[in-house]
Amino acid sequence: MGSLAYREDPEEEKNSEFTWEVQANNRSYNNQFKEKVFLCWQRKKYKRNVIHTAKYNVFSFLPLNLYEQFHRMSNLYFLLIIILQGIPEISTLPWFTLFAPLVGLLTIRATRDLVDDIGRHRSDRNINNRPCQILMGKSFLWRKWKNLCVGDVVCLHKDSIVPADLVLLASTEPSSLCYVETADIDGETNLKFRQAPTITHHELTSIRKMASFQGKVVCEEPNSRMHHFVGCLEWKGKKYPLDSGNILLRGCKIRNTDTCYGLVIYAGFDTKIMKNCGKIHLKRTKIDHLMNRLVVLIFLSMVVISAVLTLGFRYKVREFKAKHHYVSAQHVRSEATQTFFIFWGFLVLLSVMVPMAMFILAEFIHLGNSIFINWDERMYYEPQDLPAKARSTSLNDLLGQVEYIFSDKTGTLTQNVMTFKKCCINGVIYGSEEEDTLLKEDPYLWNKFADGKLHFRNAELLQAVRANQDRRVREFWRVLAICHTVMVQEKNNQLLYQAASPDEEALVTAARNFGYVFLARTQNSITVMELGEERVYQVLAMMDFNSVRKRMSVLVRNPEGSIYLYTKGADTVIYERLQKKGLMERTTEEALASFAEQTLRTLCVACKEVDEDMYEEWRQRHQEASILLQNRAHALHQVYEEMEQNLQLLGATAIEDRLQDGVLDTIKCLKQGNIKVWVLTGDKQETAVNIGFACQLLSENMIILEEKEIVRILEVYWESNNSLQGGKKGHLKKQLPLQVKMALVINGEFLDQLLLSLRKEPRALVQNVSLDEEEPWQEPGEERADFLQARRLSLMWRVLGIQLWNTGLAPQDKGYKALESAEVRRERAFVELASRCQAVICCRVTPKQKALIVALVKKYQDVVTLAIGDGANDVSMIKTADIGVGLAGQEGMQAVQNSDYVLAQFCFLRRLLLVHGRWSYMRVCKFLRYFIYKTLASMMVQIWFAFYSGFTAQPLYEGWFLALFNLLYTTLPVLYIGLFEQDVSAERSLELPELYMAGQKDELFNYWVFLQAIAHGTATSLVNFFMTLWISRDSAGPVSFSDYQSFAVIVALSGLLSITMEIILITKYWTVLSVLAIFFSLGFYGVMTWLTQSIWLFKVSPKTFPFLYADLSVLSQPPILLVILLNVSLNTLPVLAFRIIYQALQKPGPKEEEEKTTSEEIITVEPIPHVLREARTRRSSYAFSHREGYADLITQGTILRRSPGVNSDMLVDHTRPPDELPSSMEDSSWYPRKMSFLGRNRRQHQGKVSSEDVQPASEEKLPKRQERSLSYEPWPYTPESLPPTKETPLSAEESQMTSSESQMLPSSQLSLKSQSAHLQEKTSLWKIRKLSWKNWPYTWQKEPGPPKEGTVPVSNSNLTALMETPPPTARGSSTSEQPVEVEPSPVERQPSPMEWLPGPSKGQTPPDLAGLPPSPEEQQ
Amino acid sequence: MKRISQDCQSGLPDNCAVKQQQLPAYRLQLSANKILSGFFATGVFCLGVGVILLLSAKTIKEVEINYTEKCANCAKLRENAANFDKECNCSIPFFLPETMKGNVYMYYKLYGFYQNLYRYILSRSNSQLVGTDVKDVRNCAPFKTSHNGIPIAPCGAIANSMFNDTIILSYNLNSSIHIKVPMIRSGITWWTDKYVKFQNPSFQNLSSAFAGTTKPPNWPKPVYELDEEDPGNNGFINDDFIVWMRTAAFPTFKKLYRRLHRIEHFTEGLPAGSYSFNITYNFPVNRFRGEKAVVLSTLTWSGGSSLFLGLAYVVTGAVTWLAFFSMLAVHLRLKERKTFFLQQ
Repeated sequence: MGSLAYREDPEEEKNSEFTWEVQANNRSYNNQFKEKVFLCWQRKKYKRNVIHTAKYNVFSFLPLNLYEQFHRMSNLYFLLIIILQGIPEISTLPWFTLFAPLVGLLTIRATRDLVDDIGRHRSDRNINNRPCQILMGKSFLWRKWKNLCVGDVVCLHKDSIVPADLVLLASTEPSSLCYVETADIDGETNLKFRQAPTITHHELTSIRKMASFQGKVVCEEPNSRMHHFVGCLEWKGKKYPLDSGNILLRGCKIRNTDTCYGLVIYAGFDTKIMKNCGKIHLKRTKIDHLMNRLVVLIFLSMVVISAVLTLGFRYKVREFKAKHHYVSAQHVRSEATQTFFIFWGFLVLLSVMVPMAMFILAEFIHLGNSIFINWDERMYYEPQDLPAKARSTSLNDLLGQVEYIFSDKTGTLTQNVMTFKKCCINGVIYGSEEEDTLLKEDPYLWNKFADGKLHFRNAELLQAVRANQDRRVREFWRVLAICHTVMVQEKNNQLLYQAASPDEEALVTAARNFGYVFLARTQNSITVMELGEERVYQVLAMMDFNSVRKRMSVLVRNPEGSIYLYTKGADTVIYERLQKKGLMERTTEEALASFAEQTLRTLCVACKEVDEDMYEEWRQRHQEASILLQNRAHALHQVYEEMEQNLQLLGATAIEDRLQDGVLDTIKCLKQGNIKVWVLTGDKQETAVNIGFACQLLSENMIILEEKEIVRILEVYWESNNSLQGGKKGHLKKQLPLQVKMALVINGEFLDQLLLSLRKEPRALVQNVSLDEEEPWQEPGEERADFLQARRLSLMWRVLGIQLWNTGLAPQDKGYKALESAEVRRERAFVELASRCQAVICCRVTPKQKALIVALVKKYQDVVTLAIGDGANDVSMIKTADIGVGLAGQEGMQAVQNSDYVLAQFCFLRRLLLVHGRWSYMRVCKFLRYFIYKTLASMMVQIWFAFYSGFTAQPLYEGWFLALFNLLYTTLPVLYIGLFEQDVSAERSLELPELYMAGQKDELFNYWVFLQAIAHGTATSLVNFFMTLWISRDSAGPVSFSDYQSFAVIVALSGLLSITMEIILITKYWTVLSVLAIFFSLGFYGVMTWLTQSIWLFKVSPKTFPFLYADLSVLSQPPILLVILLNVSLNTLPVLAFRIIYQALQKPGPKEEEEKTTSEEIITVEPIPHVLREARTRRSSYAFSHREGYADLITQGTILRRSPGVNSDMLVDHTRPPDELPSSMEDSSWYPRKMSFLGRNRRQHQGKVSSEDVQPASEEKLPKRQERSLSYEPWPYTPESLPPTKETPLSAEESQMTSSESQMLPSSQLSLKSQSAHLQEKTSLWKIRKLSWKNWPYTWQKEPGPPKEGTVPVSNSNLTALMETPPPTARGSSTSEQPVEVEPSPVERQPSPMEWLPGPSKGQTPPDLAGLPPSPEEQQ
Repeated sequence: MKRISQDCQSGLPDNCAVKQQQLPAYRLQLSANKILSGFFATGVFCLGVGVILLLSAKTIKEVEINYTEKCANCAKLRENAANFDKECNCSIPFFLPETMKGNVYMYYKLYGFYQNLYRYILSRSNSQLVGTDVKDVRNCAPFKTSHNGIPIAPCGAIANSMFNDTIILSYNLNSSIHIKVPMIRSGITWWTDKYVKFQNPSFQNLSSAFAGTTKPPNWPKPVYELDEEDPGNNGFINDDFIVWMRTAAFPTFKKLYRRLHRIEHFTEGLPAGSYSFNITYNFPVNRFRGEKAVVLSTLTWSGGSSLFLGLAYVVTGAVTWLAFFSMLAVHLRLKERKTFFLQQ
């Protein structure tokens, strides 16, 4: 599907043509390529390796920056007004009045941009000047990155950063492997390897040869597909394929490889990483939207007011012209012309009322609040040295309005650390002892293999174990030590366990500490040190865990020769298979219940002894089943089932899936704040529910609705909706018991059925941008723009619909609803239902579904959503939600890189939302309300004055006052409010999460508040104007202030003081800064007034500074001070009194609130019949929730070998794929094997690998297997068992390749992709896998082989010897020759203790060594 | 990000009050008592000031005589612009029942004359008026130059439309003896206007200072002959001129014209008795249906007749008290909840 999407895009199509030719060491050849830029102007096609991320240079800064700034509507409007102002006929304000603020604002912004850009220049320079070795002539010389050209050969060393996209030519590692870390590119911290084409690996063995290398690479045009590359190398008349496994991308780091050589194919901006840059997804806040709307509203009302005033002028102008002799001479033009001009004049005059400065101040406030988040040391996480970080600086106030949190589970709520908490052996419960004993001494000192990680201490148990008396205790630990798929490696004389799931590791580690040390494993043996005695168990069969079986068994022959079956699994399945159910079983059952109550993950441990005869019989059936062609999995299942009967229960373990610190408090707190927390996890239902209980999202008194109930409720809703269509909403409420707490638990498949319309919906609702992630619903650029448009439209309709609904226009509403499709209605019903639930847990969801759920809620509820997660699988959700929070965890940085906020721990979310978010919201709201008030209060007098000045658009205020009012006189206090205001302290915010609800309801700023602000502002302006007017009529004498200038001064000062008074009253948090802010802004008024009214400036320009000493003369009169005092108190007191009374009457006391909440709770806590159902479900919260183990790999032996050097890192790659990806293990398990076969022929096609692509690949491997081993299966497999093959038409060349093609993928990437596959496909994939490996002769041939007797020490020689007989690929293995002469690195494969560790490289090495690479064509 | 934190040793943010938003702060917590007492006190203050202002305003005596209609014939004459050079006088007798004690000020008051029209208000040349450049008439449209191109001084619409009635108050001791009440024409302007904003060009001789300019079209005399009695009151620093040039904010305005020279009979102020205004009627108002009046008024410390200011204060005080009482009521009603004011 993904590939389909690409193919549809014509541009991508074009880019995948092979038109990009690069010849090595031939700059002149490469320079001959030109591309047309504009008309006939051409430039070199291949860019240099210089990058300029900086926007400006010295010359372009001013024009470009200005151009950019005037792209903003507000500035453009300002500019227009200034231009209008420049027309003498229209001009009503002095030129500087509008000019000064605009210049001020532009300067501030430009300064910010400049500072940013200087930073970018600096980093550009740093990057461009990084050193690298380029082959110049005959030797490698140190040059700078910027000197690099396409076609150059570069030499890279360990830990150096790849300067451009290179084709790997050779490296000092065997078979020219090269390990890279791609953390800077995709955030994955694990190592990946790249390999040079065999031909270059063999040929380019010296610098001399490299210098004469004339190969030509033909490949695609530069594109942004990170994991996709197709090209070929033409050299000496032959063509060799290249794929992304041969490519080193710019930005990677070379690891564990001494030296490698590469040919530059894309440089500078052509590199994939640069092609991927610059896609910034802009999110805006609710208030932002509101603000824009309000400003438009204000602007429109200004136009209306101007029009009305113009009408007034129209009426007056005739009179002036005819009768007022003193002005008639000025009315030269016709009345109509003058009226026309005066309209614009008014527009200019009133433009001061459109609060333009608000935007830039808001920007600063956002910035400031973001910085506060970065600065908060209480969101600093010491263990990782990570402070919180606001990556987006414009979403702060949205943080105060969040209503839905969508949280990932693993790594977000939980630490993904499993700790062995309790166990029950033989009916006796052993819990961990108190903390203080922990400190005393390490009880495991006697055991040299003990691992300090285990915090479980129990002296009693330890004694029992060491006494070695009780057989059951012994067997219990044996099971834990043997029955697992953990891999072990030795590092610095320490055993290191690598497990598929952390649960397993916890169990094995516990066994290790109690003296049952798992030492080593081979394909068919397990070595365990049992209380100092080393024993080797021969593994006869491994029956791996899967989600259906919910158990895992190992059939072993112990050193004494008897056969045992060791089983561990979910209590439900184990109890079904017990031999007897006696007292011990019942006490264990009780123990399990109590463990489950403590939300521990439980696991039952059982064993049985198997007769030799029975085994022999079973073995045959097992073998038969394992070579079945059809239904093999089922058959195997049956066989396993037969074996796993009549078990003897040994005990149970309890593992704690450790929640992150403070998760409980945080969730509780957030819930108090009316924030709904939804958990979206890829985990299975039981685990998710278990964690739900652990987090107290779920509680025993909740009705937990599952699929069936939901369907039923929705159906009822649906029917009633149909019959009552167009009627009142909210039938749902009637059907559901009102006072009952509910929770939803749903899984991915159900969602798939539900979210039908959303899938069809313009995908823009779901914002997942990065192209390489390959979600099927992801469209390339242009189309996306369309979708955005569509979304905007649909949003508009929605707003319209809501408005209509609000205004009570029922018919329209009905019509609107009727338009909805059935799907939409069902979704709406679902969201309505879900939003009424206390908790929603979605399990088994894919990343795409995560995003869809978020989009669903966003679509049907007008709420702010926040998504929090730490892994790559959360990226789409993070991008879709209004706010994305990334946890900087261990799962790589991908979530972080796509998030708006970065936290180190989930619990910081509480502070982020309840403190920073709430403050930001409150600040922004206060700021907006006050700013609007302030603007209107001071500027509306202009309108009133127009009525007295014959509607001639005479400004009331002095030009300078107007110019500086928003810039200096009133800015600081309002900025203070926006940056520092705290209505309540941080502590109280956290104590009273209820306060948060104000933000969710938009209480602090909405249309109503806006109206209040307008009314208040109007009142203030009326008082200021008319009080002064009426008093001035009475005044007389030399102190009369009926003249224009005095009047202006008094009104201006009254206004200024009134609004300052207002801010004094609304500031709740008084600090030195606020005092300074007010002091300075009034001080500015004093100083600037004094300056602009001084004689010096008057002398300089009498026209510009006409208010000579006006303030001084006016204010030296005491009666005038009385007037100002009167104005200010009239403006302040009644409003203050009103506010106080209103608040007092409005707000119920805190006591009352408390009563309310408690009473509610009393009602809700009702015993509900449904609850009983719970106990059982919860019991089965067994461990091993994640995925299957390595059983296949182990039995095949594939995993047990690797090349030296990189083991531990590589191991991470395969043992820890991103969490919650149920299918990832399947992928990674066949991955190395495939490589072993096809390492040479592989065509990496990750760009379009999707689940569909994967399977054909595995299908295609089969014929080769047939070749290599005596095959049992007729080719081909029944195609029915496979999902549809390639849907996409392939280009000729590609289709040629597909037959031999196999995808080799780093597991995590693949798993990402395969997540999107439907479960059905997964299972089929699973089948194939089972089929394929059973098919493999080596595996089963080994199995019946003679058991290795005695001990197998953890030493190299033995193991390497063992490994020396590797699976098929090794047949031609020989030692590698050193590819490059310069490097005297070890030639032979050095056996190392790590060699037998899982990893792909083993599989890959041999074919190269063998040197028998038939090209794909030949092979066919 | 990791790299950054490595560079700076630690990502731990600074622990300073500003960065942690923990500045020592005073939270404005208004208790009921504070607010109530505050309101009460403010009410008392406003009422007090209001009462004082009202009392002082009561002592003010004011006489306003509208002479638009009383000099109907002159008004008619002025309606025709052709008669601009014909003199027209009219005398308006009136009776002052009570003595006007203290300083008495005489104003002229215009109704419906828009001194605040946008074009009008701009039509002046400050640089000319400050004496730096007499010929600077840039902003004076449409009265920049005379027909033959000579710059007008003072230029502009404001100056051109200067109020030019002469009002002489005479005290009729009896039917035969009319004493001209002595009036001072100085001290009626802002000090800064008279001594800073308006300056004559620095020449020995005023007429030569204004050489090369011409009088505004409506003026009968050039600017340096405005005051025939006091040669120091001529040119741009003529008090009447300065008063006129300080444009009024509203179409109805009064401007100070003269003040009583307290000598002889008038040391106490204007004694009660019959008076008459002798008005040389020059300023036409009929065409725009304006009115002219002459006002005699005393002053108090608060200036003019501040009746409205006093009233406003009383009303404000009353409103404040009203607010106070209503808050008290609310407070008493909700007394069980101790602090409800402005508390979160």
